[in-house]
Amino acid sequence: MWELLVRSLEASTIFLLAALGELLNQRSGILNVGLEGLMLFGGTLAFIAAQTTGSYGLGFLAGLAIGGLLGLAHGFFSITMRGDQVVSGMGLWILSFGLTTYIGNPYTGPLGMPRIPSIFGLSPFVYLAFALVVAVWLLLYHTGLGLAIRSVGENPAAAEASGINVAITRYLCVVLGGMLAGLSGATYTLSYNPVWNYNFLMGWGFVSLALVFFSMWNPWILLVGALLFGMTWQLSLSPELLLPGILSRYVWRAVPFATTIVILALISTPWFRTRWGLAKPEALGQPYAKE
Amino acid sequence: MVRFPFTHPEPEEPLLAARGITKRFPGVLALHRVDLDVKAGEIHAVLGQNGAGKTTLMNILFGLLQPDEGQLYFRGQRVHFRSPHDALAMGISMVHQTRKLVSAHSVLENILLGHPGTRGFLNLRTIRREVEELCHRYGFTVDLGAKVWQLSEGEKQWVEILKALYGGAKILILDEPTSVLTPPEVKTLMASLQALVQDHGVTVILVTHKLPIVTAISHTVTVLRSGTVVARLRTCEATEQLLVQHMIGQDISSYSISDLLVEKGRPLLRVEHLSAYNDKGVLSLRGVTFSLHEGEILGIAGVTGNGQEELVQVLAGLRPPASGRVLFDGRDVTWLSPLDRWRMGIGYIPAERYEIASVATLTLVENAALNFHFDPLFSRRGLFNHPGLEKVTRHILSHYRVKAPHLYAQARHLSGGNLQKLIVGRVLARKPKLLIAHLPTQGLDVEATAFLRGKLLEAKAGGAAVLLISEDLDEILSLSDWVAPIYEGRFVAILPREGADAETVGAMMAGLRREEAGVS
Repeated sequence: MWELLVRSLEASTIFLLAALGELLNQRSGILNVGLEGLMLFGGTLAFIAAQTTGSYGLGFLAGLAIGGLLGLAHGFFSITMRGDQVVSGMGLWILSFGLTTYIGNPYTGPLGMPRIPSIFGLSPFVYLAFALVVAVWLLLYHTGLGLAIRSVGENPAAAEASGINVAITRYLCVVLGGMLAGLSGATYTLSYNPVWNYNFLMGWGFVSLALVFFSMWNPWILLVGALLFGMTWQLSLSPELLLPGILSRYVWRAVPFATTIVILALISTPWFRTRWGLAKPEALGQPYAKE
Repeated sequence: MVRFPFTHPEPEEPLLAARGITKRFPGVLALHRVDLDVKAGEIHAVLGQNGAGKTTLMNILFGLLQPDEGQLYFRGQRVHFRSPHDALAMGISMVHQTRKLVSAHSVLENILLGHPGTRGFLNLRTIRREVEELCHRYGFTVDLGAKVWQLSEGEKQWVEILKALYGGAKILILDEPTSVLTPPEVKTLMASLQALVQDHGVTVILVTHKLPIVTAISHTVTVLRSGTVVARLRTCEATEQLLVQHMIGQDISSYSISDLLVEKGRPLLRVEHLSAYNDKGVLSLRGVTFSLHEGEILGIAGVTGNGQEELVQVLAGLRPPASGRVLFDGRDVTWLSPLDRWRMGIGYIPAERYEIASVATLTLVENAALNFHFDPLFSRRGLFNHPGLEKVTRHILSHYRVKAPHLYAQARHLSGGNLQKLIVGRVLARKPKLLIAHLPTQGLDVEATAFLRGKLLEAKAGGAAVLLISEDLDEILSLSDWVAPIYEGRFVAILPREGADAETVGAMMAGLRREEAGVS
């Protein structure tokens, strides 16, 4: 039971780190559907860097750097070039999928380093992710920069007329968001499951992306969603930890998806729909051109 | 209205000056060597028709656009505004024609957005107190906690002005501030602007094409026409007549509307208890009843969003009514299709020129055919009769003074005024018995407006019944036989023209009932 709880909190951490970055992106009006790609790249390069240098620090640095770099690339396509954000994001995902399979192939296998020491029985990244929720909430709702970010995502023309540099604000968010995605991938390959395999994430990034939409762009609801999904996801992977022998593991595999259906049903009620519509950043996914 | 004496000693250094500003857009010379001198503590009106370059000039003063040539001077110093940020730092603030507010955010958040004092953590309680003090000082009342989407257009404008003042604005640029306001709101705005200038030393640049506002509150006028400055006057030395001549470069008395005497004909349209839902499912037209005779114009006066849109669409057959019925020519047409209505002689001029009344990428001939396509004269065995259509189009172009490169030009290349003339011509060429004109002159220049109003009167003289829906009170009062102020989906009253004055109708447009509006 305790083991399951620890593992699910660690799984939640992966979702939470990536989704917080994406939330920051989307609050500034940039949609990055290539989140999974950023995580794959971050995880792969972190794994390679850590294994070749023997240093966890350098590994995480590599993950952060490549995440930020890919975020910057997405920013260039969607902010400067004013391209279609979905196309750019999908492109990044496919590119990352292919390249990481190619680059990481010789490194297939376990990391082979001592585990990162845990704090009070939990991976330090769990604490980091929780702290980041608070940090993102403070940033968005209690700082001038946060107000600028939210305004840029709602109505960039209004922000521009108020003297805010829309492009720089958005670039800041995509780079920060990319770094968080890279960190999330690195946490996966260096701490949660330190074995490299091609396409090791198998959809964690897309779940994180969906969580942002479920969260109505609110970091606290995002936290709840990430915890819920971490729990059901972990349960589906290792049901024997909680209820050994009850139901086939294949039934448990379906739990996260059944949860998704329940949540989708809830979201589609009119009551929720109006609130969701209000919360959605109005300029999300739309390129901004000065008049 | 108060007119200030002009007491500035000359010469005086202007607070903000533009010298030789030229701005080109692809294919258009928007501004050509424009000079502007704004002195401290004055209300400086910038007057001009649509497309004269007023907004472009203001965007340059505010740093949203960069001039191709020319310089800006602030207190005699040469300045470069690379973005609004630079202009704001100098105390220049702009209230745009389209609201630049984040509608999902609260009033307070909008006011402090971009304020230099909001770096780092926000101390919302202190800021709130500051803004409340500011409101108190200037005599504004706005609910700071309300979300902007809940506010009326007038209130949104206060928020923008308040935001500018909170940002320490010394020069306030207002771009067409009255276009979305009700007449009482316009009055309040004018009084507040005067107070800002007199009591608080703010300088106001007022961009408008409305003459009464210019003559009422400005000290100085700069008139722009086709991107050049054609006149620079003290308001006390200018008459409306003179300003109009500068604006359009000719005398418009040739267009002035003579009162055509029209015999009142038989009743043509009867609308009974008509209600309709809007797109959001809210009952926004709530039981309207009226009748209209041949040779009459009923002017429906109201601020957009009070049910006019729905009324017009129900009458045109584009929206099902929730209840009530429509009788036309003695026949119940409530559920007829639009096409059947056109055939019966209902003509419709939609408010959305580019979106609904025309297809931007089709040619003028094709656009002219939009209302003729069912006519056997112009289509044979399902094929268009091009020579016939060309003849009709040519007729419309010449009779309605449409300036167009050629018959097969695309509609999107026409200016708003020329396109509207084409649309009105197309509808009137069918000699409709009932003409529904929704905002027929909105946003058009003085010449096109006068011309189209004349055409409406001609149609009326020809025996057509006209339903005129407009936000422009002058238009309603100068054309209508009956005036119906509409508010929240109901007619506040239906007044005969003689019994309707601007004050009363204006008050009714804002929702005051008969007694409150001063009509017994």
